[in-house]
Amino acid sequence: MLAFIIQRALQAALVMVVMSMIVFLGVYAVGNPVDIVIPPDATIAMREEVIRRLGLDLPLWKQYGIFAWNLLQGDFGRSFIYNMPVLELIGGRLPATLELVLISILFATVTGVSLGIYAGVNPESRIAKLIMGLSILGFSVPSFWVGLILILTFAVHFGIFPAGGRGETVMVFGVEWSFLTANGLSHIVLPALNLALFKMAMMIRLARAGTREAMLSDTVKFARAAGISEATILRRHVLKLISIPIITVFGLELGSTLAFAVVTETIFSWPGVGKLIIDSITVLDRPVMVAYLVLTAFVFVMINFTVDLVFALIDPRIRSGRQKS
Amino acid sequence: MTYIRITGLAGAIALLTGMAGAETLTIGVRGGPESMDPHYSALGTHAEAAKHIFDTLVWADEALQIAPGLATEWSPVDDDTWEFKLREGVKFHDGSDFTAEDVKFSISRPPIVTGPTTTAIYVRRVQEVEIIDPHTIHIHTDGPAPSLPYDFVRLFIVSHTAAADYSTPETAAEGFNSGVASIGTGPFKLTSWEPKADLVLDRFDDYWGGPAAWERVIRKEMPNDSSRLAALMAGQVNLVNDVSSADYLQLQNDPAVDIFVGDGIYIMNMLLDQRTDEMPGLRAKDGSALPENPLRDIRVRQALDKAIDRETMVEIVLEGLGKPADQGMPPGFFGYSENVPKPVYDPEGAKALLAEAGYPDGFEMDLYCSSDRLPGDAAICQGLGQMLSVIGLTVNVNATSRTVYFPAQARGDYSVSMNGWGTLTGEATYTLGGQMHTPDADKGLGGFNRISYSNPDLDALIQQGMVELDEDKRREILESAMELAADDKVLIPIVQLQSVWAARAGELDFTPRTDGDTLAYPIKPKQ
Repeated sequence: MLAFIIQRALQAALVMVVMSMIVFLGVYAVGNPVDIVIPPDATIAMREEVIRRLGLDLPLWKQYGIFAWNLLQGDFGRSFIYNMPVLELIGGRLPATLELVLISILFATVTGVSLGIYAGVNPESRIAKLIMGLSILGFSVPSFWVGLILILTFAVHFGIFPAGGRGETVMVFGVEWSFLTANGLSHIVLPALNLALFKMAMMIRLARAGTREAMLSDTVKFARAAGISEATILRRHVLKLISIPIITVFGLELGSTLAFAVVTETIFSWPGVGKLIIDSITVLDRPVMVAYLVLTAFVFVMINFTVDLVFALIDPRIRSGRQKS
Repeated sequence: MTYIRITGLAGAIALLTGMAGAETLTIGVRGGPESMDPHYSALGTHAEAAKHIFDTLVWADEALQIAPGLATEWSPVDDDTWEFKLREGVKFHDGSDFTAEDVKFSISRPPIVTGPTTTAIYVRRVQEVEIIDPHTIHIHTDGPAPSLPYDFVRLFIVSHTAAADYSTPETAAEGFNSGVASIGTGPFKLTSWEPKADLVLDRFDDYWGGPAAWERVIRKEMPNDSSRLAALMAGQVNLVNDVSSADYLQLQNDPAVDIFVGDGIYIMNMLLDQRTDEMPGLRAKDGSALPENPLRDIRVRQALDKAIDRETMVEIVLEGLGKPADQGMPPGFFGYSENVPKPVYDPEGAKALLAEAGYPDGFEMDLYCSSDRLPGDAAICQGLGQMLSVIGLTVNVNATSRTVYFPAQARGDYSVSMNGWGTLTGEATYTLGGQMHTPDADKGLGGFNRISYSNPDLDALIQQGMVELDEDKRREILESAMELAADDKVLIPIVQLQSVWAARAGELDFTPRTDGDTLAYPIKPKQ
């Protein structure tokens, strides 16, 4: 087991090193950030001063070396554009993304799984067909469009929810959270719903397929024969049987939503990390891009790592298989 | 019953979310500052935010004409000295008096604390600042510097006591972003700022120009055009800037919204590369190499100019939000020449000129443009491609993100390109010296001459214009430089862009500024 953990940890470290190199090279290939940000009437001397200050006069391998060395000491460097430590910049916005993503994923999972189980138990009912139809919409309608429609409907037309931005925050454990205030909550509803729709559609389909399969299993047949009520069967047996794929997808979706909530954040002017990264890309703010993507890679690797561990713990076949090879 | 409950809830939430009362002005802006240190960045949106908190010696009014700011008058004492008389009785936000010490300190600061969008340009001509008395200073320059008052339009005055400990690259952001050092003389005090989010400002009651109409001003950064507009419709903000041309069409018939259209400083120019050794993206129609760079032939350049239907470009492509341009700067700016002939749309004449130049069947060109820097740039690019193909050229249109476009243009990857240029200072040496002067590292000119253009006569005029202290003579020199530049057609102006603001109907008195800034101080509630 220990060997397995060490092996995965090494793989994870390798992924992150490769990731940082690709981003470094990629940004270098696009061009010199100085060409985008320097004012037109700056003299050549000023231009060179800027290049020197940002360390862009050094050869690429040296720039990367300095970055990697600082990173090992926990220093991600300073943003070219804001002159603020990158970690502070990202850290200041992470809570906003975190609360938005967690709320939307939880909402998507709870509603999605409930609706999916219902549709799986009563596959021929009208409501089930409606649910499945809606889930197809959830898959296929682009989320930026849904976002705009949500804004137009609930903010502009009915005026029930604000059109964007983050509401009032309260400080809990040294971090600003907005979901704990009424005002903050009203701001979070639309973006969270927008972000949740796609995941919800996926959860519905996963849960439905799982339920239909589980309903035909011997477990359920014997439980029925034993006279256990349908509700109890669903809660105690079916839910358990379908939960493994759902948990896997939950983990992966959590990671990808955290990293790429960009579209929703932009449309709802939500001050999260997604918006920061897009802005950084447009001005080639390399320290922010590299730090963000390395952190994202870290999150993905950690989630996959945890999923692997959980599987190894649950399923002895996986554990022994690894040991043999 | 349910309906009543819902509307009640909506009302409660609307109150909570701060359906801004008359005392608070909430503005949705497309872009914001990069720091609270006014000397950190020369970016337009940065200076725009800084203008709320800090003042400058020289003010630029709505039409970018210079006017007194913290300095009441200025004049050259001799060839390389300017005297500035400072306004008396001006207070900083912390109650201290504004004096010559603050000016001296503020002039010394930009080269040290500036970020990549360097603010050192505003003080590059200054050699020494001499304090004559607390309200008089002499500024010694490196040779005659007639444009110094224009440079000082963007030089913000900070307090030399509050900012003293926050004037190194390491400490500046911390001190200013936290509000400790960001003590100015401007109409508003900094309350809080979050990068890419909200800037909250409170009224400074002792402002020398009289207190602002708003107790609190909140500038919300909303980069997405549709969301910004939706926030206005939902009553979350009172005013938004940079309304897109598509939205502008719709809003014209909306009684709930007032729209304000103002001329902008940006001119869209097509740039024609003048290199002899290479010509990337230019080839004969059969794909073979051309014998020489066709863009060096004035007849070809004139043909391209005649092929552009600027009226159609404005009416169809920009939905009316622009004006045909005939030179690299908007009318009324210092050095704009009335004598430049208005461009004429003449596709037949263009074809004839091409034939005369030896290209009766045209040739093939790759046209590159920025696609996300200014409103409408990608659409203008496509329109341009179509118009040029009418005279027999094969045009491959490539509208790319500015992230890719500007570095590639600087590397010399493009022979034909199009992007906007804003004359931020309101006078011609900025535009001509940057784009049209032969690149010259020593003089610091031609830094944005991306087309290897070199015209000794034009260079001489630009340099004369940069040292002539007599305003009338200077204007004359710059006007003839503008005429010469327009004649050569290496830089073909297409349209001047206009900007659109929108506000909730009947709420605000607002006058658009030519530089596109949305400043809270001049905005008043409608009576």
